[in-house]
Amino acid sequence: MQMRTASIISTALHVAVLGWATFSFSSKAFETIPPESLPVDIISDKDFSEITKGVKDTKKVEEKPKPVVEKVAEPPPKPVEELKPTINEKREVAVNKEATPEPPKPEPKPVEKKPEAKPEPPKPDEIADKLKDDKPKPEAKTEPQPLPPKKPPPPKPQPTQKFDADKIAALLDKRDPTRSAATGSEINKNASLGAANANSARLSQSEIDAFRRRVTSCWTIPVGAEGADNLKVVFRVQFRRDGTVERGPDPVEGSASPYGPAFADSGRRAILQCQPYTMLRPEHYDSWKDIEIGFTPRDMFQ
Amino acid sequence: MNPADVAQSLPTIVASDLSLWTLFWHAHWVVKFVMIGLMACSVWVWAIAIDKWVLYTRNARAMRGFESQFWSGQSLEDLYRTHAAKPSNSMAALFVAAMQEWKRSFTGQQRSFAGLQMRLDKVMQVTIAREIERLEKRLLVLATVGSAGPFVGLFGTVWGIMTSFQSIAASKNTSLAVVAPGIAEALFATAVGLVAAIPATIFYNKFAAEVNKQAQQLEGFADEFSAILSRQIDERGAG
Repeated sequence: MQMRTASIISTALHVAVLGWATFSFSSKAFETIPPESLPVDIISDKDFSEITKGVKDTKKVEEKPKPVVEKVAEPPPKPVEELKPTINEKREVAVNKEATPEPPKPEPKPVEKKPEAKPEPPKPDEIADKLKDDKPKPEAKTEPQPLPPKKPPPPKPQPTQKFDADKIAALLDKRDPTRSAATGSEINKNASLGAANANSARLSQSEIDAFRRRVTSCWTIPVGAEGADNLKVVFRVQFRRDGTVERGPDPVEGSASPYGPAFADSGRRAILQCQPYTMLRPEHYDSWKDIEIGFTPRDMFQ
Repeated sequence: MNPADVAQSLPTIVASDLSLWTLFWHAHWVVKFVMIGLMACSVWVWAIAIDKWVLYTRNARAMRGFESQFWSGQSLEDLYRTHAAKPSNSMAALFVAAMQEWKRSFTGQQRSFAGLQMRLDKVMQVTIAREIERLEKRLLVLATVGSAGPFVGLFGTVWGIMTSFQSIAASKNTSLAVVAPGIAEALFATAVGLVAAIPATIFYNKFAAEVNKQAQQLEGFADEFSAILSRQIDERGAG
């Protein structure tokens, strides 16, 4: 009797609790939202090079302007390189024509901005001289000196100062070829249509392969090393723009094999012997001027 | 490729809701069985708990009332007459049993004083044992559910996780969306086990203490009453 009422109460209690739990928990049902998909494009190195390349067909192109960066890097300008300059530089050229007559203006401002411009008084003269000297050259090949952009900078907070600084940098670079890097980076920032020296950010696989094949063809493997599986040598090579070896090849990594030294030596000889490497295109010079590349006997016999 | 197309081409993952009902419904039948059993245990435990709670509080109150009545100076005959028909509590039952034995010894033709004291003690012991048994009835269920409930729930969980791992292996997909519902289902069994076991353990401990207390009271009363009766026997024997 007593137990029966207790059972009924208990059952009712459970039903009530379960009902409450069912509703309160079901409201918290979690949904699994599929993760947002990211569009991924797989592109080859070649595609990537083309993407980063500046666009050629914009606005007027006046003759062959020298990109500041390249000019600085290497005194003797080569026609191939000059073809590459991006739109920005071209624009600059147009601007620069107007700007060139006013070299003195920029000078006072740069002093504020760039500590590099140490000798203030001598500069104007030198620059003026340089400009004069340069002028004849451009007429022959490239007429205008790619002075820093005058109009493009508007997006920048301090437009006037920057023009001047760039100009001076460019002029100074002419005197001192080793400063190419600094000027190059500045100009790149301006570029919206294509980076000045970003024609190819990487050496394309085909170029590396071509280079490797060429080296391999010149390589005389020392006797006995053919069978050594674990032989490997990595060279660091610095090139000149024309594909000749400037420094090295220095073996930076080798295998501790009795054949190791002989193998490395033969590789060194091969690389030196087969230069220049014309398959390395000058427009990608930045990416192959200093490379490390590894060879194993297996690569060569496969 | 259009991202929208990609998203559509993905296998649509069912948005699983984790309401109790779906948790229960998707579980393996073994797990279901475990859960149903545990729910039934829980209902039974609460029913017992409610029953015992009422029983103990009533009994305790009645015993207090009877004790005050007993010590109020009322004649034992009157007290016996009021309670003889239907003793309302353990102490009254004890009193009535003792009085019955007493009366039986005096109403007969021959007065048998010799073993009366011993018989009274015996009767009272038996009554106390019977009363305690009545109070303790079904308390063992609480103890069993309290100790075994978690294990039963754990069994359901282990079984559920085993099956959910098998389904993971079958679908070769270990994303959380695939794993989570199975694990949740499995854990639900342990939850039910704990829900049943925790109140059971608490109630068992409380009720065991209560029974112990009332048993002590009965023992005390029995001793006192026995002393009173023994004095009466001695007086009558002397007289």
